[in-house]
Amino acid sequence: MKKLKSAGKLYQKGCEGLLKKVLLLFIAQLCCFGLHAQSTSITGKITDAESGEPLLGVNIVEKGTANGVASDFDGNYSIDVASANAVLVFTSLGYQSKEISVGNNVIVDVSLELGANQLDEFVVVGYGKKKKRNLTGSVVSVGGEDIDQTNLQDPISILQGRAAGVQVVSNSGAPGGGMSITVRGNSSLNSGNSPLYVVDGVPIESSSLSSLNGTENFGLNPLADINPNDIESIEILKDAASTAIYGSRAANGVVMITTKRGKEGKGVLNVNFTSGVSQITRKLSVLNASQYRQAIIDSYRNMENPVEPNWTIIDSLNPKNNGDVDWQEELLRVAPQYKVDLSVQGGSENAKYSWSSSFSNQDGIILNSNYKRVTSRLNVDFNVSDKLTVGQSLSYTNGTNNRINAGGSGNLSVVRELLIRPPSYAMYLPDGSLNGYQFGKRNPVGLAEYATHLNKSNRIIGNQYAEYEFIEGLKLRSNLNLDFLSMKEDEFLPSTLDYREGYNSGAVRAITNLTWGNETYFSFDRTFGENHNFGALLGMSFQEWQYERTGLDGMFFPSDNVRTLNAAGTISNQDVNILTEHSLLSYFGRMSYDYSGRYLLEVNLRADGSSRFGEDNRFGYFPSASVGWRFSDEKFLRDQNVLADGKLRFSAGQTGNEAIGNYTSQGEFLVGTNYLGYSGASPSVMPNSGLTWETTTQYNAGLDLAFFNNRVVLNADVYLKETDDLLYNVPIPRTTGFNFITQNIGSIENKGVELLVSTKNMVGDFTWDTSFNISKNENKVKDLPDELLTNGYIQNGNYHILQEGLPIGTFYGWKFEGVYARDEDNVNGITNGALGSVFKGGDPIWNDLNGDNIIDEEDRQVIGDAQPNFFGGITNNFGYKGFSLNVFFQFSYGNDIYSEINHQRNSVVRYNNLSTDALNRWRQQGDITDFPRPVRDDPMQSDSRVQSRWVEDGSYLKLKNVNLRYRFPNRLIEPLGLSKLDVFVTASNLITWTKYTGFDPDVNSYSGLRAGVDEGSYPQSRTIMTGLNFQF
Amino acid sequence: MKKSKNIIAVFFIALAFSCSKDILDKEPQSGFSAQGFYKTSSDAQAGVNGIYDAVQSTFSLNFSFWGEGRADAVNTNHSGDPLLLQQNTLNKTMNSARWNNLYETISRANYAIKYVPSVFEEDTEFGLQLVGQARALRALSYFYAVRVWGDVPLILEPYESVEQELFIAKTDKDVVLDQVIEDLIFASQNCRESFGGERDRLLITQGSAYGLLTQVYMWRGNYEAAIAAADKVLNNSLYSLVSINDWSKIFSTGFSNESVFEIGYDETQTNNLRILYAIGSDSHFFPSENFRASFEEDDLRQDLIYDVTQEEPKKIWKFFGQGFDDESADPSAQNIVMIRLADIMLLKAEAHNQLGQVAQALSLLNTIRNRAGLPELNEAEAVDMYGDLESALLHERSIELSFEGHRWFDLVRTGKAVEVMGPINGLADEANFVWPIHEDALNRNPNLEQNGFY
Repeated sequence: MKKLKSAGKLYQKGCEGLLKKVLLLFIAQLCCFGLHAQSTSITGKITDAESGEPLLGVNIVEKGTANGVASDFDGNYSIDVASANAVLVFTSLGYQSKEISVGNNVIVDVSLELGANQLDEFVVVGYGKKKKRNLTGSVVSVGGEDIDQTNLQDPISILQGRAAGVQVVSNSGAPGGGMSITVRGNSSLNSGNSPLYVVDGVPIESSSLSSLNGTENFGLNPLADINPNDIESIEILKDAASTAIYGSRAANGVVMITTKRGKEGKGVLNVNFTSGVSQITRKLSVLNASQYRQAIIDSYRNMENPVEPNWTIIDSLNPKNNGDVDWQEELLRVAPQYKVDLSVQGGSENAKYSWSSSFSNQDGIILNSNYKRVTSRLNVDFNVSDKLTVGQSLSYTNGTNNRINAGGSGNLSVVRELLIRPPSYAMYLPDGSLNGYQFGKRNPVGLAEYATHLNKSNRIIGNQYAEYEFIEGLKLRSNLNLDFLSMKEDEFLPSTLDYREGYNSGAVRAITNLTWGNETYFSFDRTFGENHNFGALLGMSFQEWQYERTGLDGMFFPSDNVRTLNAAGTISNQDVNILTEHSLLSYFGRMSYDYSGRYLLEVNLRADGSSRFGEDNRFGYFPSASVGWRFSDEKFLRDQNVLADGKLRFSAGQTGNEAIGNYTSQGEFLVGTNYLGYSGASPSVMPNSGLTWETTTQYNAGLDLAFFNNRVVLNADVYLKETDDLLYNVPIPRTTGFNFITQNIGSIENKGVELLVSTKNMVGDFTWDTSFNISKNENKVKDLPDELLTNGYIQNGNYHILQEGLPIGTFYGWKFEGVYARDEDNVNGITNGALGSVFKGGDPIWNDLNGDNIIDEEDRQVIGDAQPNFFGGITNNFGYKGFSLNVFFQFSYGNDIYSEINHQRNSVVRYNNLSTDALNRWRQQGDITDFPRPVRDDPMQSDSRVQSRWVEDGSYLKLKNVNLRYRFPNRLIEPLGLSKLDVFVTASNLITWTKYTGFDPDVNSYSGLRAGVDEGSYPQSRTIMTGLNFQF
Repeated sequence: MKKSKNIIAVFFIALAFSCSKDILDKEPQSGFSAQGFYKTSSDAQAGVNGIYDAVQSTFSLNFSFWGEGRADAVNTNHSGDPLLLQQNTLNKTMNSARWNNLYETISRANYAIKYVPSVFEEDTEFGLQLVGQARALRALSYFYAVRVWGDVPLILEPYESVEQELFIAKTDKDVVLDQVIEDLIFASQNCRESFGGERDRLLITQGSAYGLLTQVYMWRGNYEAAIAAADKVLNNSLYSLVSINDWSKIFSTGFSNESVFEIGYDETQTNNLRILYAIGSDSHFFPSENFRASFEEDDLRQDLIYDVTQEEPKKIWKFFGQGFDDESADPSAQNIVMIRLADIMLLKAEAHNQLGQVAQALSLLNTIRNRAGLPELNEAEAVDMYGDLESALLHERSIELSFEGHRWFDLVRTGKAVEVMGPINGLADEANFVWPIHEDALNRNPNLEQNGFY
């Protein structure tokens, strides 16, 4: 805590100077407001150069100012300019922009040439770029503006609700915490559902490498190592035509992140400063100490052989149990954060550079959690000669994450304890010391304050390339790429939080992960004649992964103050030095042809060999093909001006998934199965040399339409995706000594629709743009081998099943239908199991599915589905003069959440505190309620069975982001040497409309197969930030 | 320029083809592929240590569920296994019906038994004693399997390929026990006599193999063989009875001279003793009224075994020391004593009694009684107090070895299970003595049949 404070001070000092200057700047500007120069009014008409048709919605801006208008329906405009030196800039989507000096004219008519603007708009695809209008696959692009306006800390959060077909759910609200992202549904059973991430051509490690996660199911978000301010665009490749070029890792889509590169021109220095606070979105209500004690007493009286509890937990005079603590109050806080970004971009004809640096310091809303990050990046490109270009992207990130044990169960979980720790547990003992440990539970405030859970990481992501152009259009490019992550983790539990005298424990892990590789390919792009455009690509790549972990666990440190492992009295675990490797060798090719952008064709093929599979099954082949037809270029559509652009796309292809252990096919002997101090080894994985890829076959059809000079743009896609040969851990008799063998079995289907509509609703002084996207994905398990199906399904973790015809994420359990008001209401004498007791007043009414008056396994049924019916987002941008307002809503509809945390906080079994719902509990015969009687050690399993009572509607609509920005006019800031000055306020996660009763419906304690469970993850926060952005 | 162009082209092409397919051969660096593990003598040692690791998990909870849960010394308020066992309402989903850990032990042992010899060029003592330990641990596992489920699948080879038969049916329990005895005889001949220090208690030695053999022979009613095996233990200088002052320490600190084989645990490799017996308000088991009433007067062991100060005692002190008071549902680090000298002495006494050698039987019984501060018994007194000498011996076992996981097997072995447990929970059918096979095992193996009673 001390360290933190001093860091804060340092920051304050550093900023005071800056703030003073900025303040002066403000005052100076305010003074200038009154001094208006004389203005001239310019009018004119804008037409299409080819057809002579008037153009509406063309933006007209006085160059170097925020002064701008747009043309009306007849192409007319009117703008006031400051002087005759003014230059007007005319821009419109789909047309080349034009600059005209006003001079002494008062009427300026302009005709715009078609298309260059849009023709030049490129999107990044595998091993290259492609003109957006010539895409035949399905690619969604999230651009710089969306990224700038959110002020989020990592690139994945930005995608949430902004990219159709991409579902992003938070695993943890902790700073730097994990996210799970699914592109077009779950296509794998073995949890390999994460897309491939490629940053500037470097395939990067995207799974958490943290190995000391305490009780959390999730680690950190490795994408948080990328500074969003460095990002130019994020493209998500979704269909097989776009992804097949990445072959064996592309079945779950590919996320291409492109960082900003230098542009020719004078260097531009950009400074961005944001600071703000976050707090919990809502607190949940729990019982106070006396209500809690009564509930515990009731639970004893409700036992089959009622007893009066005579022990300390209900003794309000006992010094350990006389508290009345609001644990949420004690553990949650309003947490400050700030971020400073510096960047310089520029270059000459032969050398371009983009340089950036950032520092952020983010406190979490739970006591003592904090994440600090320093990022630095240099991207350079040099034209060595007409033919040879070389360049490099290099980024370095240093992160320090002071974590707390957040999610999950166990006595180390702080988040669960927020809600379920008895209020009667005293915070302090009479002697003033912390009440560190009580009945199997560590004090969560003590855990946050005194335990260590620190993660420090250093990461370098780099790409070095050389490109040589032999003849026009024929290029050879070679990339050397590297992703190096070094991480150190420390954990320490002081003896003050243990029940055993002098018992403390610590652990340390050092992890290095190296991914490196080379990609070398020829590319050819050339236009023959006027209209025949050819493209070809041929190359190979090699990629290798090395992961090494070294660690020690120790205990009995002589003091809680020396926490390094050299002080440990006993080293309890020294086996953890682990090195694993994996490699991939690939060949790939692509051919494309289009006739004048009207008829488009592309084929791809990739061959991938992976070290993970047996020698005979190493290579997989992944082909794809796509066609496009720009029907708007056909003669019959030329003479109209409603439809500006129209294109149909079709694609089909195959991709793979190799997400199994590095050595699964060879079988494994595990070291570290020690017997006391004697090191042991034992077989852990049964070999299966026949293992091979999961293969996904995907069909996609798309329609792109643009109306009214691109004022309404619509992109729609439908797809069908079938994954076969699923890699699955097939259970085998335990008499073999093994739990399962990994085999290729079964298939899954995903089909869906994606729609993106963007409109320019208002143009002129006041502008209003809207972008709306919505996706629907239907997931279905199509085929599972019969030998796996006991009772027709596979139990999948505690809450889910896998069954043919049902989606992944289907919850299965008993259906709760209320509470018996009286004993005699159980007219059929329904019993708990064949031999168990009869349900009585106060017990839950379970749906007796088979009507046999016995509640048992056979009465379990589908009680929910974690998959949303649809999800998406809507962004509205408003602009007036220098003001802009961005309002972003995000939604998910029809998904259920299995709220394990609600089970925990409505169950007396572990002496948990209860939610205030428990005040409505059944107390006596005749009570009509839906809250059953609490029973200590309940043989009827009222709370503990998997049941519909804990399944809640997880639909929500979120006001996810609001950004209000003011850009000062150039004439005010130019005298200060600035070329841009913005001030803004951003609020994220502002309001959520939902029926969900937990902290936040954007929650996912497990990813993939076990989606939609809330086990008590680190809660989401509401953040409000103000910022300043200026450019020299 | 042209020259440089060529150089660059050659460079790229060379780079591209410098990769060969060998780079896809990745052998495990830190673990081992299944076939590649057993190479050196330290691998062999590690493979055998790995078996003990599985033994630790197997008995952490189940030594008590299997050996005490269904018998008369304990009582419970806990739903789940404790109550199901006590009320004799066993079902196929209860935890103690799972045999996973036993077979994991067996699998690890099978790997060691197959591969350890291949590490050593000839039959060296080091290799043989390792195989001896592996075979003894396999025997221990099958001995439990037979006593808990009766007929069970007998698997003596490691699984190394999907081509092997996965779905093995049950083998007659006598065939399994024959194998158990064969393994133990091998162990008793090839294991070390002593390792020195704590390892004499933690690892399988010749003495522990004979101890286990005594238990197996008694289970099969082979009394001569049991006496012969027991003598090997009694005459072994490693073992002697501790004084009553140190009696608690047999369990609470472990490594006593009385211990023949105990499973080692520590602060990280923990077991469930505390959860089973010692959480004052909430442990799985507490001493039954019958048990508390069965003590003879002035038995010095009584207040070492449980909290006699309470009217309704809940805490079993035996494994933690007198006065142990803890409300924490945390794991424990105490070793679990599987075989100790007193057990073997009393088994030997039983065998003598069965063979009509009353004097030898009484002498052994009185040795144990003396230590507990009880007067010596002659045959008439024993008959007078307990009906017959066998009952007196069984009673002595029920006190001396209380809660150590022997009582249920003693009742079944001596044919007294129905007589004792019938009045308590209605046990009536011999076919009910075994556990059901867990549902999960049945689901995974179509060739497996549920035990008759279930």
